[in-house]
Amino acid sequence: MNKKLLIVDDEAHIRMLIEQTLEDLEDDGVELLFAENGEEALELIKKEEPDLVFLDVMMPKMNGMEVCQKVKKVLHLDHVYIILLTAKGQEVDRQKGLEMGANKYMTKPFDPDEMLAVAEEVLKL
Amino acid sequence: MSGPSITAYAKVLRSLLKKEASAIHLMERLADLLQVDLSVEDSSGSMLYGQPNKNEHRFPLRENGTIYGVLQANKASGGLIAELLELLVKKELEKKSIGSEVLGLYREINMIYNFSEMISEKIDAVSIAQTALEEASQIIDATHGLFLVYEEELDRVIEMASFGDSPDRGANIAKLNHLLKELIDRGTSSIVPRDRIANNPALLHLKSVMYAPLKVKHRTLGIIVLGHSEEKEFTAAELKLLTTIALQSAGAIESAHLFQKGLKEARDKEEAIREMHEVSQKFVPKEFIKSLGKNTLSEVALGDLAEREVTVLFADIRGFTGHAERLEPRDNFLFINSFNKRMGPIVRKHDGFIMQYLGDGFMALFPKGSQHALRASVEMHKALEAYNKERQEKNRFPVKIGIGMQNGSLIMGITGDVDRLDAAIISDTVNTASRIEGLSKHFGSSILLTQFCKNNLSDPEEFEFRYLGPVQVQGKQQPIGLFECINGDERTLYEHKLNTLGEFKRGMKYYFDKEFAMAAVTFQKVHKKNRNDLPARLFLNRSAHLITQEIGDDWKGIESMTRK
Repeated sequence: MNKKLLIVDDEAHIRMLIEQTLEDLEDDGVELLFAENGEEALELIKKEEPDLVFLDVMMPKMNGMEVCQKVKKVLHLDHVYIILLTAKGQEVDRQKGLEMGANKYMTKPFDPDEMLAVAEEVLKL
Repeated sequence: MSGPSITAYAKVLRSLLKKEASAIHLMERLADLLQVDLSVEDSSGSMLYGQPNKNEHRFPLRENGTIYGVLQANKASGGLIAELLELLVKKELEKKSIGSEVLGLYREINMIYNFSEMISEKIDAVSIAQTALEEASQIIDATHGLFLVYEEELDRVIEMASFGDSPDRGANIAKLNHLLKELIDRGTSSIVPRDRIANNPALLHLKSVMYAPLKVKHRTLGIIVLGHSEEKEFTAAELKLLTTIALQSAGAIESAHLFQKGLKEARDKEEAIREMHEVSQKFVPKEFIKSLGKNTLSEVALGDLAEREVTVLFADIRGFTGHAERLEPRDNFLFINSFNKRMGPIVRKHDGFIMQYLGDGFMALFPKGSQHALRASVEMHKALEAYNKERQEKNRFPVKIGIGMQNGSLIMGITGDVDRLDAAIISDTVNTASRIEGLSKHFGSSILLTQFCKNNLSDPEEFEFRYLGPVQVQGKQQPIGLFECINGDERTLYEHKLNTLGEFKRGMKYYFDKEFAMAAVTFQKVHKKNRNDLPARLFLNRSAHLITQEIGDDWKGIESMTRK
């Protein structure tokens, strides 16, 4: 079965940047999915149960924290690995994010090489 | 070749036919309209769209003459669809290449972000330089790097950091100092033309070189130089990156410099304050300030005061006026200084402090009481004895002092006005102590203390005393009992006084019993044994005088001292 990776960000250019960064994973049979807001993300996660989610924190229509909390604490989708993305200087969110059940935390601007390496590690590629 | 490779075209074709629903939909509608049956395979022949069939029309999908896929159709009009597919692939690839360019820029932004965060924590130029070169070498392909700063004080261009082996780098920097300085002054960034590199002996090992200035506002602190030893052209984009790194580094160096300067200024200031504090302590004894409950002189305010129980000691150089006349003012000053230099430490050793220097003597306070003050007095006399031996060898006059002591409470305070403050003590005790010291001259004693002061001694057995009777000092209602401590006298005089303590005491008894003849005889005997026993001589004279006087019943032997 193909592995699935969901990219959630309300900003189109960030989605594109992440897509561009992780594009090579498609060669390894990873399917890239996209969502523009929290609600959409939650629906996709329920439906597709992706292996990995890059989840922006600051978003309209349910922020990343809430999505994370619903996935981990309500739906108990423990096998969905969630990496929260937030702006530098907002590190106060880190603890909160981890409490919400996020598996990892990355700051924006993200380091593309690091992001790819983390994705490969989580997806065991 | 430049631009995306054929495999990239093939890849895009594949993902287009798999994922892009709108593209597939458009293609299918067109095929419907043209009533064309079609299939698409990539250049290796694997099917990407449709079913394998024996369509006779094959339309290669190509880029620059190279085929990356084939569209098969049963009609010639399938060629239109092939053209559409080619266009869609091309557009998709253009989008991708813009995307990867953006990602490249994003990578740079991220790097610069991290870099500025990293160097903002550094506070010395060398580690900023090292970090800058490290970062530069990570994003720019270079084999050599050099971080140079112009040191104004030395008028030299100095290497802060470098990477890559360069023969004689140090020597070359020194040799090219003038040139480098000019380059720095110019404050521009540039990719050095090939011929210029070839003509520069210092750059022989390099094939390409570029540099960027370390600019802060309108000044240039130095330059960063990057080089490559193999065939490689630095690009304008790389120069832009280097310029950005240089700019960030310059800002960091400047603020590190300001930080260091600020730190140094703060330290200098602290040092100055400490020195001032130390000096001020010498003018106003710290014990005095402490008595006021303060730590430093700067905390002291006009009107601060504290009441303390202390022993006040006055010491005075005997016959100073006579000595002074024989000396030049400067020599006088030197003499006083050399005297004070010997006495001060003794006072401090016995937990006292010198409150005031009085020209030919000083006033010292002993917060711990008369035992300490008396020990200090005896030691001062001993020290002078030794000093006088030295002076004698140099044919100088001997120095003698008289000491007077009184105990009592004393108010220490800060007096003056807002612009001129001084430490002052206000006390009757001070006046009395000063007068007692004056009496030591009159009696010819080395140390005099009051009855009250003697009563305050914690261990009177440590010393020997002679009672010299009550005196009426000016301004005091009650007469004061006066004692001579003999321990400060030089050895023969001390032994004499010690051996005649009983006789002297008897003499005093005759004297106060108004048996002046007996008193005179007794004092005569004592004085005869040692002509330097001046108190004995004084009482001998007094007794002899009183023999011939009419003495009233109210005579109590109280000596009235009207002058100091």
